[in-house]
Formats: sequence, C-alpha cells, structure tokens
Amino acid sequence: MSPRRLAALGVVAVVLAGAALAATRLDATADYRATPLLGRLAPDAHVTTLDGRSVAVRDLAGRSVIVNFWNTWCTPCRREVPALETFWSRHHDDEDIVFVGVVRDDTEGAVQKWVDERRWDWTIAMDPGDRTALAFGTTGQPETFAIAPDGLVVGRRVGEASVDDLEHLLTLARGQ
Amino acid sequence: MIARLRLVALAALVVLALVVAGRGGSGPTTDAARAAHLSEQLRCPVCEGLSVADSPSSTARAMAADIRRRVEAGESDDAIRRAYIAQYGSWILLEPPGAGFGLVAWALPIGCAVAALGGVALVLRRRALLVRAMDVP
Repeated sequence: MSPRRLAALGVVAVVLAGAALAATRLDATADYRATPLLGRLAPDAHVTTLDGRSVAVRDLAGRSVIVNFWNTWCTPCRREVPALETFWSRHHDDEDIVFVGVVRDDTEGAVQKWVDERRWDWTIAMDPGDRTALAFGTTGQPETFAIAPDGLVVGRRVGEASVDDLEHLLTLARGQ
Repeated sequence: MIARLRLVALAALVVLALVVAGRGGSGPTTDAARAAHLSEQLRCPVCEGLSVADSPSSTARAMAADIRRRVEAGESDDAIRRAYIAQYGSWILLEPPGAGFGLVAWALPIGCAVAALGGVALVLRRRALLVRAMDVP
C-alpha cells in the first residue's frame, strides 16, 4: 500500500471516529416511541383519583385498560379532547373496559374545574411527583397506553390520539 | 526515525490510558453527590439532548427527586440506571452503556484513533526506509 493511500486511510479513520463519537453523544433524534414496556407487566404504580380513591394499576387486571396521560394546559391534549369524549361515549357502558386519565404537571383545582365543565365520567387521577408517568416511561403528554386483561402493556400512542387510534389501542387491550 | 516511531507509539498509549482512566475511577461517594452524578448521566425524557441535572422541566425535577429517593433507599447506581432503562430503554442514558451494542460506540472511536495513529506510523516508517535507501551509494 502506498504512503498516500495509507495517509488517506488514516484521515478516513479519524473522520469515522469523530462521526461515531458525535452520533453517540449528540443523540437528539433518538426514537421517542420505542418503549421497553411493551409485552411486560404494567408498572406497579398507584394514582389518586379526584374523589380521593387510591388506584393501583395492577389491580385493574382482568379488564381492558386504557391509560391516557394528559393535562389541561397542553395544546395537543386539548386537541385530543373530542376524540377522548367520542371514544368514551361508545364504551362507557362496557364494564370490561377501564379508562383512566392520569394528570401530569397540573393543579388539582384546574383539573377538577375542567372535568366538571365537561362532565367527564371516566376515572381521572392526579400523579403528584410524576411517579406514574415516569414508571410508564412517558416522554410528555398526551400519551396513551393499552393494558390487556392479563396485565401486560400491549400498546402505546405518543402524542395526540384520534378516535381510530383509541379504538386500535382498545382492540389491542382486548387481545384481539 | 526509530525514536520518532517510539514517540508515536507512546502517544498512542497515553491516549488509550487517558480514555481508560476517564471511563473508570471510584466516582462520588456521598448520597447527594451520587444523586447529582446520576442526574448528569440520565436524559431528561421530555427535553432535547438535556440531562436531568441540566433541565428545568417538572419531569426532570421529578426524576431528580426519584433518583434521590432511590439513592437514600440504598439502591446502587447500577440498579437505578437499570430501573430507568427498564422504563425508557438505554436511550435514557446520555452516554452509551459500556456493554452490548453500546460497547461498539465506545470501542469504534478508540479503534479508529489507534488505526489512524498506526497509519501515520507506517507512513513515517516507509518514508524513513525510502530516505535510507536513497542514501545508499
């Protein structure tokens, strides 16, 4: 191999080294949607409903569970409201389905006012300290999870969900 | 010329030693220092490329509090990192783990740097041989 070719190879190697280092250290475009929770038991998390009941996520096993992380001030959460209301109007009579809205980063007063004004009748729970949001590995809100009757996490939707998205998650949660 | 080659080899060894030393070390020992160190290593999940320590978001504050709680409960640094990886995947680590695929991310730059130094050494050696051959009457 000629010295010139060797020198060129050296330069290429240095550039590759820099690129590899940059790719691993400046990872701003990582996949936000990948979750290691899929196919595993739902986190052992507890939330407190607006009427003061403590609900353990794992105690909901035996039913199809949809968990929606939201708050009153985020714009995509507000855009998602009609889909949530339509979805629940279709299924609120089905006792095999549990729909839980877990509030992150909001005040109980603002949430109570919001729920009262809209007459929401699905379970709304506060998450002080974001412990449940962290246990679910959320990356913001809204974010929606499907949990099957056997307690396994079977679906996740990051960002604003449509009615079709919610129905799809319910299909997954029903094991269909 | 041999002296120059030795110098290049020595420089390569120093670089490797610095990299290895930088990866090791005993690390922080007090609970507060351990929690702060972990907060620097874990990614704020609602931010773009910020650590928990650097982010002012409520999620990062909640994570920092959770890390402190776990440290005070006696969990090891490794157990805390594993708990977050179980929830978020290895993406939650700002630096790639030193095992599995993450090891490639560490080994590749070092391997490339060593290869580059080796290439330079070879070029210098060949040039020296050429000069020596030209000096022969």
